[in-house]
Amino acid sequence: MATHRRSGINRRAVIKGATATAIGIMAAPMISRAQAKPIKIGMPTILSGRVAQLGTSSRNGVMLEVDKVNAAGGLAGRPIEMVIRDSKGQPQEAARVARELVNSDGCEILIDAEASSGAFAVHEVARDLKVLCLHTNSETSSLTADPKQRIANAFRTCRQGIHDSIVGGAYAAKVANAKKLAKWMTCSPDYAYGRDTTAQFVEYLKHFKSDVEVVSEAWPKLFQPDYTEVITKILQTKPQALYSCLWGGDLTSFIEQGNIYALFTQTETFAVNMADYTALTVVKNLPKGIHSGNRYIKTFPTTPQNASWADAYRAKFNEYPTNWSWQNATAINFLAAAAKKANTADGAKIAEALRGLTIDSPFGSNGKLTIRAEDQTLVGYAIGWGTTIPTEPYVPAVTAGDWKQIFELETAWKKKNGYL
Amino acid sequence: MRHSFRRDMIIGAIAVTALVLLPLVWPNKAFIDFTIRGASFALFATSLNLLVGYGGMVSFGHGMFFGLGAYSFGLLMQRTGMSIPAAFALTIVVTAAVALAVGAICVRLKEIYFAFLTLAFQMFLYSLVILWVPLTGGDQGLRGGIPRPSFLGIDLADQRQLYIASCVLLVGGLILMHHIVESPFGYTLRMIRDNATRAAFLGVEVFRIKLVAFVLAGIFGGIGGVIMSLFVSGAYPEFANWTMSGEAVFIVMLGGISTFFGPVVGTVILLLLNDVVTRFTEYYGLTLGAIILLFALGLRRGLTDFLLDYWRRSPWVLAAAKRGR
Amino acid sequence: MDIASLVSCFGSAACVVTQVTSGLIIGMLLFLVAAGLTLIFGVLKVINFTHGSFYMLGAYFALTIFKLSDSYVLTLFGAAFGTALVGLVFERLFMSRVYGQNMLMQLLVCYGFILIFDDVVKIVWGAEFRSMGMPALFQVPPIFVAGGVVPPFYLFLVGVTVVIGGLLWLVIERTRFGKIVRAVAHNPSMVSVLGINTGILYGMVFALGGLLAGFAGALAAPVRSLTPGMGFSILIESFIVTVIGGMGSIVGAFVGALLIGLIRTFGSVGFPLFTEGLMYLFMVLVLIAKPTGLFGKEIA
Repeated sequence: MATHRRSGINRRAVIKGATATAIGIMAAPMISRAQAKPIKIGMPTILSGRVAQLGTSSRNGVMLEVDKVNAAGGLAGRPIEMVIRDSKGQPQEAARVARELVNSDGCEILIDAEASSGAFAVHEVARDLKVLCLHTNSETSSLTADPKQRIANAFRTCRQGIHDSIVGGAYAAKVANAKKLAKWMTCSPDYAYGRDTTAQFVEYLKHFKSDVEVVSEAWPKLFQPDYTEVITKILQTKPQALYSCLWGGDLTSFIEQGNIYALFTQTETFAVNMADYTALTVVKNLPKGIHSGNRYIKTFPTTPQNASWADAYRAKFNEYPTNWSWQNATAINFLAAAAKKANTADGAKIAEALRGLTIDSPFGSNGKLTIRAEDQTLVGYAIGWGTTIPTEPYVPAVTAGDWKQIFELETAWKKKNGYL
Repeated sequence: MRHSFRRDMIIGAIAVTALVLLPLVWPNKAFIDFTIRGASFALFATSLNLLVGYGGMVSFGHGMFFGLGAYSFGLLMQRTGMSIPAAFALTIVVTAAVALAVGAICVRLKEIYFAFLTLAFQMFLYSLVILWVPLTGGDQGLRGGIPRPSFLGIDLADQRQLYIASCVLLVGGLILMHHIVESPFGYTLRMIRDNATRAAFLGVEVFRIKLVAFVLAGIFGGIGGVIMSLFVSGAYPEFANWTMSGEAVFIVMLGGISTFFGPVVGTVILLLLNDVVTRFTEYYGLTLGAIILLFALGLRRGLTDFLLDYWRRSPWVLAAAKRGR
Repeated sequence: MDIASLVSCFGSAACVVTQVTSGLIIGMLLFLVAAGLTLIFGVLKVINFTHGSFYMLGAYFALTIFKLSDSYVLTLFGAAFGTALVGLVFERLFMSRVYGQNMLMQLLVCYGFILIFDDVVKIVWGAEFRSMGMPALFQVPPIFVAGGVVPPFYLFLVGVTVVIGGLLWLVIERTRFGKIVRAVAHNPSMVSVLGINTGILYGMVFALGGLLAGFAGALAAPVRSLTPGMGFSILIESFIVTVIGGMGSIVGAFVGALLIGLIRTFGSVGFPLFTEGLMYLFMVLVLIAKPTGLFGKEIA
């Protein structure tokens, strides 16, 4: 079911919707304004195909928080009603669904839980319809960093590539210095995210340790089922260290297949997307000592708030939260805080309130998250690296990244790209 | 019954007028969006039916022209700053040129091998789109929106005006394609479909006729892509992927291949199905799959084919035919 | 492009050996899936686009059976026969209704089932990635052969596949069933005139195709992540294999699978960003030179 009201599935809403459809799906939306009229938030996401988990855990993250917000009176007195639709991962469908959510379902706010190109398609819809839009899953830095892309009504409440790369580079350089790792190789999925993230990681690795050499690269396709040729290429290159930004099922396949070649005992592996429960709980023989960034992990930040959030999520949905879960939960938290600050559920006024807003959050590096005013993107989230062990808690200790350092280098990066 | 181009034009003019006036009495944004998408897919699917229904050439790679239309139009607008009509005309030239080159190789092959080769070409083009990042943006597609400067007082950035433009393109495209299939060329094409050897004996240049049909279909498929790129203000590799060809084949099958308007009907059915089913369930595949089976195993043909058969077999028509004799 | 690496790879025995071995590993699983696809086409002149879904079902069956029994042998046979049953039922109840019709109608039925199978898997096993895990027997360090690394599991995989390929060849060439299959492929109406029930035969052929695909799925399950829609990429690749090798030819499927495996492994050395495109380019060239594929018979 893709229609949600307050908690879970509401049969009446579905039947009501079905009746409306029977009359004709083009029927104009009713225009009636009661005092506590629910505020509809539209959410295009991917609920089918290979990355359906992105959609389901995004939805779970959102619903967990929406329940809390509604119990506390909703957005400025108006209860939130989520309208969540499947785009099947196709950008043109994402654009279509987003337009429909606003134009015929009467959604006043969009939470764009699309990945990569779908997010850019929804971004264009937000530009066109001038509706408040929160991107929750696209980590492509240019979405908010590039002033050509930027629009006043679009925000990002998730991590982004450039931050990850700076922290990853700094951490990896430290390890490389300690273990004398000079000969590196990269193995990342061959699409925009993989290429950009890898290039940035290498750039910052070299920034912190100039004598590093990347001797070879492997670029498996996204969703490639077999990594044998990639693994043998790595084995022949014999690098001292390996970087990979494979994720989800691709990463688990790579790990399982690498295992039977004993790959991870021969090379120090840095897999930025390992420390997410989507991968950690799935891999059957998780090697010890893989370095990973924190995607979402219960043990970082090491606070009772974070642990209890993960437990609440697990109790409700019977699965571990993912990186997508916290990012989407954060979107609702920010909406609630901004609506409270502006004392209205009006999209334009919420947008105004969001710029520069800081909230308390279990996902903040010091218990707080901020939407930076200048580029309307999330900063100050918990970010760090650690190493894996085969069983729970999987990544027992995480070294936190330094946000001061991130800001400095990010500014330099923006200048270099002509964004500033 | 002789086909009359003038009659088509009159019906077309009435259709366009009706479509343009409709939002004035019924201002519904969802309908406008639906029609723009519908125009895109209807042109794309009808152009495929030129090949499948009239030429007997089942192409699995027709999406390549949809993608090509969207990308070349989007790139021309983003990179050169030319006017929309100029970019549109140039896009037609580009699509026609590619269709000519690909068609010259493909139409020599028969049946299933033609289907395979068109598919292979499409996937090759798709790989190029993904690979050539500096030009196409790779898997991220053409981002940042397609500029739509006004021309002749028309502003396609306004959804209402884009709607009117799409209606004009749709109706105009359908009239032209109808004219093509009812022309002597169209009948030669049918003859080749039914018996290529006999057509060749009668002095028909089979290769040339097939190639022309392939190029014409490519051009109209490309126009469908242009409309889609205007609708989403971008172009994405999915447009050039084989799933897009699959979608067109699916539409043609749903609507029916033996009537001219079959693909238009199929487009409306598929888009309605898609929009309604995704509203109510995340098990889109299960629902759509069941509906497909209903069509394939129940009706055993497209909707208009089914209705046409039903009509022909109705006692009234049979009686009229008897009287006529 | 990285032509220099490719040249230097061809100069080094270790590199050639390793890349050929990995080409073999990739190719052998492809062969199992493609063999069923090409067999079904050869006999029924139907392109079974649900074949990727059979592979997916095989992998998921393996996941469950392995979890319950902890025996990989049981897993392999259970998954293979389970999928064979699915193939049989699918053919008897659905595909058999669209024979002799427009090729597109058969395509449509297959497309419908691809969608349905993906959602069924999502409902039964969940939308998230799953992993079966390596059977304990194969959790051993890789063997080193002439400077190259060979994991024991892959030795097993290639060995089993070659045996199955050989058995398949024997069945088609040497048994009564095989004779009938070849006769049907040649002239179906003549065979039914001889009093052979073609309906049962068609069901058997689909079951055999399902058996092979399910076996491939169970062989892949320990090393590949399981997810709804996982049959999709294998369908495309095995489709390319059969088109290159020649629709209907088992030998063609074998050669085609090896060629694609080698293109993938050497392509990743020489053209790391264009291996996919290389496969399609090769398919275009083969189709232009010989539309029926390398081992396909000319159509009458």
